[in-house]
Amino acid sequence: MSLRRAGASVLSTAAIAAVTGLLLYAFLAAESERTVGLVLVGAVAAVAAGLRSRVLPRLVGAAGPPAVLVGLGVAGLVLVRVFHDDPFVLLLMARALLVLVACLGLHVQLADAGVPNFAGAAFFGVGGYTAAVLGRGGLPHPLVLLASGAAAAAVGSLLLLPLLRTRGHYAALITIAFGLLFRTFLEVNETLGGPQGLKLGGLQLLGWSFNDDRRLLGVEFSGYAFYCLAAVALALAAVWLVRRVERSWIGVALDAVRLDETAAACFGISIGRWKIAALTIGNALIGVAGGLSAMMVGFIAPNNFTFQESLVLVSILLLGGLGNLAGLAAAALIVIWLPEKLQPIQEYRYLLFSVLVVLVLVLRPTGLIRRSVRRPFGSVAG
Amino acid sequence: MHWTLAVRRIALLVLLVALPAAAKDTVKLAFIGPLTGGNSAIGLGGRNSADLAVTLKNADPKSRYQYELVVLDDECKPDTGVQVATKAGADRSIVAGVTHYCSVVAIATVETFHRLGLPTIVWGAVLPDITYANKYPEIHRVNGTMINQNETAAKLMLKQGFRRWVIIHDTTDYGKGHDKYFTQYATAGGGKILGDFGVTADQQDFTAELTQAKGLNPEVIFFGGLTPLGVRIRAQMDKLGINAQFQGTSGIVSDDFIKGLGPLAEGVVAFREGAPAEKLPGGKFFLEKYAEQKYPNPPEAYGPFAYAAAKLLMDTIDKVGPDRKTVITALAGVKNVDSIVGPITFDDHGQNTVAAITALVVQDGKWVVWEDSEYASGKRKLKGR
Amino acid sequence: MGRLGGQRVRQRQAQAERALSAGAGRAVDLLAQYVMNGVMLGLMYALVALGFTLFFGVLDVVQFAHGDVLTAGAFAGLTAYAALVHAGVQSAVPQLLAVVLTATLSMALLGALLGRLLVLPLRGAPPLNVLLATLMGGTALRECIRLFYPGGSQPQRFPALLPTASWSVRRFTLRLDNLLMIVAGVLLVVGLSLVLRRTRLGLAIRAVAQDEETARTMGIDFRRVVLLTFAIGSALAAFAGVMNGLYYNEINFGSGLLLGVIGFSAAVLGGLGSFEGAVLGGFLFAGLQTLGAVALPFASAYKDVFAFTVVILLMTWKPTGLIGERLGERV
Repeated sequence: MSLRRAGASVLSTAAIAAVTGLLLYAFLAAESERTVGLVLVGAVAAVAAGLRSRVLPRLVGAAGPPAVLVGLGVAGLVLVRVFHDDPFVLLLMARALLVLVACLGLHVQLADAGVPNFAGAAFFGVGGYTAAVLGRGGLPHPLVLLASGAAAAAVGSLLLLPLLRTRGHYAALITIAFGLLFRTFLEVNETLGGPQGLKLGGLQLLGWSFNDDRRLLGVEFSGYAFYCLAAVALALAAVWLVRRVERSWIGVALDAVRLDETAAACFGISIGRWKIAALTIGNALIGVAGGLSAMMVGFIAPNNFTFQESLVLVSILLLGGLGNLAGLAAAALIVIWLPEKLQPIQEYRYLLFSVLVVLVLVLRPTGLIRRSVRRPFGSVAG
Repeated sequence: MHWTLAVRRIALLVLLVALPAAAKDTVKLAFIGPLTGGNSAIGLGGRNSADLAVTLKNADPKSRYQYELVVLDDECKPDTGVQVATKAGADRSIVAGVTHYCSVVAIATVETFHRLGLPTIVWGAVLPDITYANKYPEIHRVNGTMINQNETAAKLMLKQGFRRWVIIHDTTDYGKGHDKYFTQYATAGGGKILGDFGVTADQQDFTAELTQAKGLNPEVIFFGGLTPLGVRIRAQMDKLGINAQFQGTSGIVSDDFIKGLGPLAEGVVAFREGAPAEKLPGGKFFLEKYAEQKYPNPPEAYGPFAYAAAKLLMDTIDKVGPDRKTVITALAGVKNVDSIVGPITFDDHGQNTVAAITALVVQDGKWVVWEDSEYASGKRKLKGR
Repeated sequence: MGRLGGQRVRQRQAQAERALSAGAGRAVDLLAQYVMNGVMLGLMYALVALGFTLFFGVLDVVQFAHGDVLTAGAFAGLTAYAALVHAGVQSAVPQLLAVVLTATLSMALLGALLGRLLVLPLRGAPPLNVLLATLMGGTALRECIRLFYPGGSQPQRFPALLPTASWSVRRFTLRLDNLLMIVAGVLLVVGLSLVLRRTRLGLAIRAVAQDEETARTMGIDFRRVVLLTFAIGSALAAFAGVMNGLYYNEINFGSGLLLGVIGFSAAVLGGLGSFEGAVLGGFLFAGLQTLGAVALPFASAYKDVFAFTVVILLMTWKPTGLIGERLGERV
């Protein structure tokens, strides 16, 4: 890459990271509800203006998506440093990022492969319960997180056969039934704590417990800061993974399967194999997010994984626009942060989300920001 | 409801500002209870009582600080409870908390409060493990535990001549705890537990359990759980033609239980620790002041405890300052402190001993103290006597 | 309301007791109780499943707000009851009439509205969109009940409007209100079947279900038929909702979700689009639940786990239902 390109890339990345960081900081630090509203309106206006005037796509293009990811990661680190001793904000950030990772898993399943999964929360729960059970056993915690993902994928594989044999609403029914079944099973079953759930000790890395507050480089960091850093790392890794999958032959195959199964089959693409791949990758991502989330909160109960929660995950996907990663991230942030920051709407949040999704589906079914078409030669747009 | 409280608080604030007094710092107290869902009546009663304590304290010119109640809803669900507990604990401006009626939630948030260092006093949850499973200096409780409740219950029912029970309990630690302790005391006194059924806390249909129970032919059906389930089980008992006496725990002592059953609630027996508000040492005072504030809900069974907990916290903060750590140290030394529920002493696990256990029976659509009822005097009879 | 001929009932009761204790079938009374319960539930599920199957038949869509329409119907009925009581009407018959009529008519309207606003506009979209839109619509409905009905987040007491006389033999209790509800439900199902087979509207519905384009060419008013179908299906759901309220003496804002999923499973089991299939599926699901409760007496909550597992297995075996559509899509 020429020096000029590199320079432009660095500047664009810095610009994007700085603006995003500032907006996020303003949102998180806002005290009064009026400020929150103003920041939200300002952010929406900025993004809309950026898209309209084509400034935003050009900046992203100049920076190159990998650099943007790195820039956003740095912005995340800076935010953690800024809110170093505010457990509430750190918790909020970490939660939003973990929900983002879970939604990325759903994204691979629904947006890429076209397989509907209404049991996303159940797989999140599988990851959490795995972390709860294995975490006590002395297994090193990074392995526990991987095991959470593997367990979610394994449980998901139980549904593979039914999901492969059914289409459309029948497949949707299978995942809905599974979600309900899973929660009821957890509630009735004593071995996994029953309705009271299980408690988890925190994440421990090489003897370093993430739960404790710690003094680093002269600054007092709340325990949640480390979880937040872990969440940032996980989110970056997940986005990178999903992008790579989409840009690879796997992505092309998944697109073919989604768009027209019969045509894809005619061209020799094995529908079964690719759906299995999408389901497994997606569930693994959801499971890992669930495991880290459970360790962070320190508690897990069947009530966290109701059908309602699965619908929230699917809503995030729809609100951000199916197929749009940036939209997904924005939707995840708004869905998780807004009810917390605007107390009056806390109670009304499910009503609000469902009405918004219905409006989006009826008025703009392609999502608030349209999905880009894959260009067969040259780089993938968006 | 929310608005009238806010208006009242603002009015009080304006009043205080108008008085020629020095400006006081505001100290925040958290109140957590089930404000929505099947147990909301009790939760709202507790909230109003805590709010009463704060209002009266703020009206007292001798108080060093201005207190503000931050109200959070745990929906009687452990996951929501942990979420709001984390929120309260993470909020540095909240100095202490008056927490929980539902035992399921209280037992889940013990770790959270310990981790975030927020001193709390439980106002309504009766599960012993909340204070006794760990020795966390943050956790305290003003009301009693279910152990004494079940001992008295067994004694009274055995005295009435009942010998054969079927126990239906919810599968949370609360229900299982009642099952364990009641079985222990009833069998020790010569009773027989013919059958034991666990049901989920949101179960709708009890045909399976009740049909089997009917076959065992018990004299009493003991229910360990909360009001919504109690209402369903009692109603379905009638549908299936089961004529046994229904006995419950503190979980069903609420007006919603009677409202939900109408005439079917007549003759139901229940037990709870602590005396009803009128019989408490500070009861009359509490009820008078409560009525003055014109809250839309009654204080219910645990209102006085919520009031006492809030008052104790505020008095402690007045003495030692609004710092969580010093409050925790001060609470450890609470001995024979006067309150409307009697003298409060926290033992080494933060548990207050409440001597009185009250037996209650539903008579003519109201919970009446057993000793004052016509069932005790013999004018009316329990089922099968 | 009194007992039915008290003296005679007691004599017959004693007779039945003697017969039963004569050894034959020690568990027959228990079985009879379970069967009775199962028939009740099966009828409720069948009514919901019929709605799903009707909607799928005419529009090839799954209307997932159906379960919540059921709950809304029950709440509408409860509001009517409260209004009548407030106005001083004490007798049960006008109360019952008001409850049933309010529930069914208001939900017929709501169903038609949902069809008009959510389903018809999304006809061209991928089928998943309609599923999602109606799922979210159902959530919105549920939340509205929870937030705006006074005390909506708590279970509400539903009045016992039917006569409560009962006849008991050991562990089996036959209640008059259950019997009346079963009879009413059966009449409704038979009535619907007659409407579909004997009336012009039924003919129009079946024509549209079979081939939309041809039906339109033949002069059938497509929109009117679709909206009427939605109205009929939703009215059925409202009736099931009132039945549910009368049976458990309680309604809950969240009960519609599970009932909707069960109704959908039942319709799918029997094959979406098939009338007999929906009824069969409803009783089949109730049967599975009863079997689960009998086989696992220590935790009857497992019955739902059992029933849904069987549903998933059955769908794996027969992807389009037991009496299903045939999808020819092998490559």
